[in-house]
Amino acid sequence: MKHVTEFELPSTLGSEKIAMEKVSMVAESMGFERERIEDLKTAIAEACINAMEHGNKFDQNAIVGVVLEPKGNALTIVVRDQGKGIDPDKIPRKILNDDGFPSTDCGGLGMFLISNLANELFYETKPGIGNEVKMLFYLEH
Amino acid sequence: MSNNIEVSVKRVNDVPVIGIKGDVTAVTGVEVKNAYETVSKEGTEKIGCHFDPGCYINSGGLAFFIEIASQSRKNKQTVCICGLSDHFLKIFKMVGLTRCFDIITDPKDAMKGG
Repeated sequence: MKHVTEFELPSTLGSEKIAMEKVSMVAESMGFERERIEDLKTAIAEACINAMEHGNKFDQNAIVGVVLEPKGNALTIVVRDQGKGIDPDKIPRKILNDDGFPSTDCGGLGMFLISNLANELFYETKPGIGNEVKMLFYLEH
Repeated sequence: MSNNIEVSVKRVNDVPVIGIKGDVTAVTGVEVKNAYETVSKEGTEKIGCHFDPGCYINSGGLAFFIEIASQSRKNKQTVCICGLSDHFLKIFKMVGLTRCFDIITDPKDAMKGG
């Protein structure tokens, strides 16, 4: 499966599971290892949930667009919403307190997971259009 | 909205063990937290948490475990976790939860009293 897969999801919690199933199929066809596929599923789920919640504010008229593009030794995942913008400064780099224990003030946990699981991560806000999160996962052997 | 979760509590060697099956999310995680708070009120020092192998946990669900970690630390309780898949064990480690909980690979160990 080397072609681009594109689909749309409603801004309804639970629909991220559709994206998880689709990315799992694409990644498996590319030869990703089982554990890495689990990483992909978690990352795409978190990106979709963020798009529904923070981007589209659960507006049932707003959709989440997903693109899966296998290319060479990488799988590129793009998740788009129709929201106002992502503030990169609000993405936590760490969520641990100084004592090494997790902070209960843990907003941004989904983005923290994505940034730790993807090989590369880009985000872009397109005024009047929405936000785009692009994740790259490399096939490693 | 996904409400696919089953949370149960049973006692093994007088240790309350919270069984979790299904999806732990921002919507369903409150059921896990409620179960923790219920057994916690009994003054127990040790609590087990057993995950079904098919469990799915997202960031909304993790937030509840972070709250449980914080509360159990204040209550000086030991929370033992078992049954987590390798993937979610990695996620727990990523967010610092393996420092807060005892991770048990053999469920029988989680149910030992003391």
